[in-house]
Amino acid sequence: MSFHPKMAYDATFHKSSRTLADPGPPFTFTPERRARLDEVLTRYPPDRKRSAVLPALYLAQQQHGYITGNAMRHIAEILEITPADVEDVVSYYTMFYTKPVGRFVLNVCRTLSCALNGAERVTEELCAKLHIKPGETDTSGTFTLVEVECLGACDRAPVVMVNDAWHECVSPESVGHMLDSLRTRGESALTGCHLAVEKR
Amino acid sequence: MIEVVDTVTLTLDGRQITVEKGKTVLQAALEHGVSLPYYCYHPGIGIDGSCRVCIVKIEKMPKLQTSCSTVCTDGMVVDTQSPDVHAARAGVFEFLLINHPLDCPVCDKGGECPLQDFSYTFGPDNSRMEFPRRVFDGEGVKADVDFGPTLMLNRNRCIMCTRCVRFMGLVDGDAQIGVINRGNGSEIGTFNDEGVHSLMSGNLVDVCPVGAITTRDYRFKSRPWDNPSVTDTICTQCSKGCNTTAWLKAKPEWAKGSSLIRFTPRFNADVNQYWMCDIGRFNYRWVEGDDRLRAPLVRDAQGTQQRASWADLMPKLRDRLAQAGQSSPDGVKFLVSAHASNEELFLFRRLTEELLGPSGPSTITVSWRVTPKQQPPRTTFKVPAVDAPNVNGARAFGLVTGAVGDPQGPSNVGALQAAVAAGSVTALFVFDPGPDGTLGDSQWLLDARAAGQLPLLIVQGVLMTSLAKAADFVLPGASFVEKDASYTNDQGWLQATSRALATPGDAREDWQILVDLASGLGVQLGYTSAATVRGDIAARMGGAVGLVGIEGLAFASTMSARTWLQASNPSERWKWDFMYQDLPPVKGAVEPSSLPPPPGLIPLKEVK
Ligand code: SF4
Ligand code: SF4
Ligand code: FES
Ligand code: FES
Repeated sequence: MSFHPKMAYDATFHKSSRTLADPGPPFTFTPERRARLDEVLTRYPPDRKRSAVLPALYLAQQQHGYITGNAMRHIAEILEITPADVEDVVSYYTMFYTKPVGRFVLNVCRTLSCALNGAERVTEELCAKLHIKPGETDTSGTFTLVEVECLGACDRAPVVMVNDAWHECVSPESVGHMLDSLRTRGESALTGCHLAVEKR
Repeated sequence: MIEVVDTVTLTLDGRQITVEKGKTVLQAALEHGVSLPYYCYHPGIGIDGSCRVCIVKIEKMPKLQTSCSTVCTDGMVVDTQSPDVHAARAGVFEFLLINHPLDCPVCDKGGECPLQDFSYTFGPDNSRMEFPRRVFDGEGVKADVDFGPTLMLNRNRCIMCTRCVRFMGLVDGDAQIGVINRGNGSEIGTFNDEGVHSLMSGNLVDVCPVGAITTRDYRFKSRPWDNPSVTDTICTQCSKGCNTTAWLKAKPEWAKGSSLIRFTPRFNADVNQYWMCDIGRFNYRWVEGDDRLRAPLVRDAQGTQQRASWADLMPKLRDRLAQAGQSSPDGVKFLVSAHASNEELFLFRRLTEELLGPSGPSTITVSWRVTPKQQPPRTTFKVPAVDAPNVNGARAFGLVTGAVGDPQGPSNVGALQAAVAAGSVTALFVFDPGPDGTLGDSQWLLDARAAGQLPLLIVQGVLMTSLAKAADFVLPGASFVEKDASYTNDQGWLQATSRALATPGDAREDWQILVDLASGLGVQLGYTSAATVRGDIAARMGGAVGLVGIEGLAFASTMSARTWLQASNPSERWKWDFMYQDLPPVKGAVEPSSLPPPPGLIPLKEVK
């Protein structure tokens, strides 16, 4: 392909080794999600549709489980931005997945407080127990391990966020128990945020 | 009229300076000759405040501030030289170089790289890093990957200033580049690795302050110190007339002379800002290409075109033309490309007036090609559809209908076409000094010629086009970089191209050919240089819109690259002052001392 009136485009130089977004199947929002997005869009001026990129991505992730290249294109079209703009955002945030993830996504904080309190060992322990590396999903498709930055609960370090709920004061020794109870009791096995718990 | 400009007065390194209100500290410093490094700021794409190298100390502010994003206020006291500024700056440079490969010897930017220059000036002289560098696609030029039809990308070299990202969003209008991932893993990329597909892509090389984005065209072709001379000129490939600089590379010693190596844009607030399009930037090889006309050609009795000397050609041409003119005075027509400069258009007008009387200019048809360019709707740099620089000039001389500055549509050659089809044209003189095809459709002429409807075809031009191949006489002229000539752009600005190269072989400047032709036909126009032609234009029609000031036009002369770099826009200028410091002169280069002193031609431009 060449846009150029004078230069033929033969890609004689090698492509970069960057991992490209999985294109996935053709993507359009379900009517309900589209309606939801349209509602979100009313909150922004018509020429600032791009402001709705995060809600749009959450909706896409809800619908497909992870964000595909086609989803990025679809969102770009709706928000009148370029797919590159969308990929920019997707790749920036750890809560958007570009690959299928397990039922529970274990986000281990690795920022300062947690790191000082042994988050690294928590990660190692999780890796050993699930036989995966950070960024991967175990064979049963139940757990995905992700390393993230500060989760905002530094006083209860180390913290693991499972899907949307916190599990505080994790230690390498307690990791096995956490995994087991997650398998049996789901998210109710988590400690949750201590502030919310204390208020209750 | 006195413009009242609000100003503020501040102290900069102990000096009282007064600047326009709203200027940032960085702009003020650069305008007053204080060297400050900067990467993410670019006058054409604004402030980002992400690279942090421009930090300065401002009294009463708690921390060091980024000068690019701090607006000057009255009474501000700025210090760019204090020890803590030096130390902090050095710290930023140390960070910038953590992952930078330092492969300057194989990097196309080497020698004109702000990262090199500023690091030498402001950075620490060694690194304390012991970690392996973050590497994207291998070391050295192995990391150069495909980045679209015109560009290469080397992500190892990128310093994440996001100038390219902002350029695509703000100027090109189609944000094809994004920052992928985050933190230490950030990389520049396009969606799906499709590369940059834009008519403005070449500008990314200019905005990128390192060798991360380079052009395929200039790849490994030259080094800044091998391009010893530059000539400020304008682009003539469309009606916009972007201000550009032609870079000349010294040929090897045995070959003598220099050749065209690249074009770069030159700031002009009214016309092209800091940019130029890829057509103007990359479509220049025809100037020195194999198809270039280097000697006059005459078709002999056997029907083959033979090389001839000007002295042989002129009498034959005169005889054939005079014969055609006598047999049918209305049968001699001129088809002139809108690539003709004002001087040349004027000469055609004068010639026809002298030969055919006041109605003479009606025998001239001006023609050009129109190709709409595909550009994003949001672009701030529209490349016009008209592929010729001087439609407005032709209007100023009354050769094309419409007023200077009117919108420009396709050319109208219908009358000439009808006359040719009717067989009433006995001689056609075509003037085509632009790249192949810019004359517009010429197939009808070739068909008429093949059908014997055009007994005499004369082509004055620069390339062996299909029309030149069919001609009885071929007169080799000068391309836009080989003559001092003036053009009136689509906004009505009168602008000048300057002579950067000598015409190849026996080719001559077009005004000279036309004056000789006229005198062959018994008309003494009496011009001895292009400047005398301009003087006469001014005398006869100096007040015409689009031609005002033509007699006083300044033409840039070839100057040493170093002088150019120092005299150009100060906001991109400081980086250059550290170039070429101890380099021996390049062999075959134009000896700078033999050149006229840097004229006031490129005044220091204000930083916008
Ligand atoms: S590629 Fe160049 S212009 Fe783009 S962010 Fe990197 S250094 Fe800046
Ligand atoms: S916009 Fe027109 S004048 Fe400017 S560089 Fe492109 S072709 Fe040349
Ligand atoms: S550092 Fe882990 S939650 Fe803040
Ligand atoms: S932060 Fe000022 S130029 Fe980058």
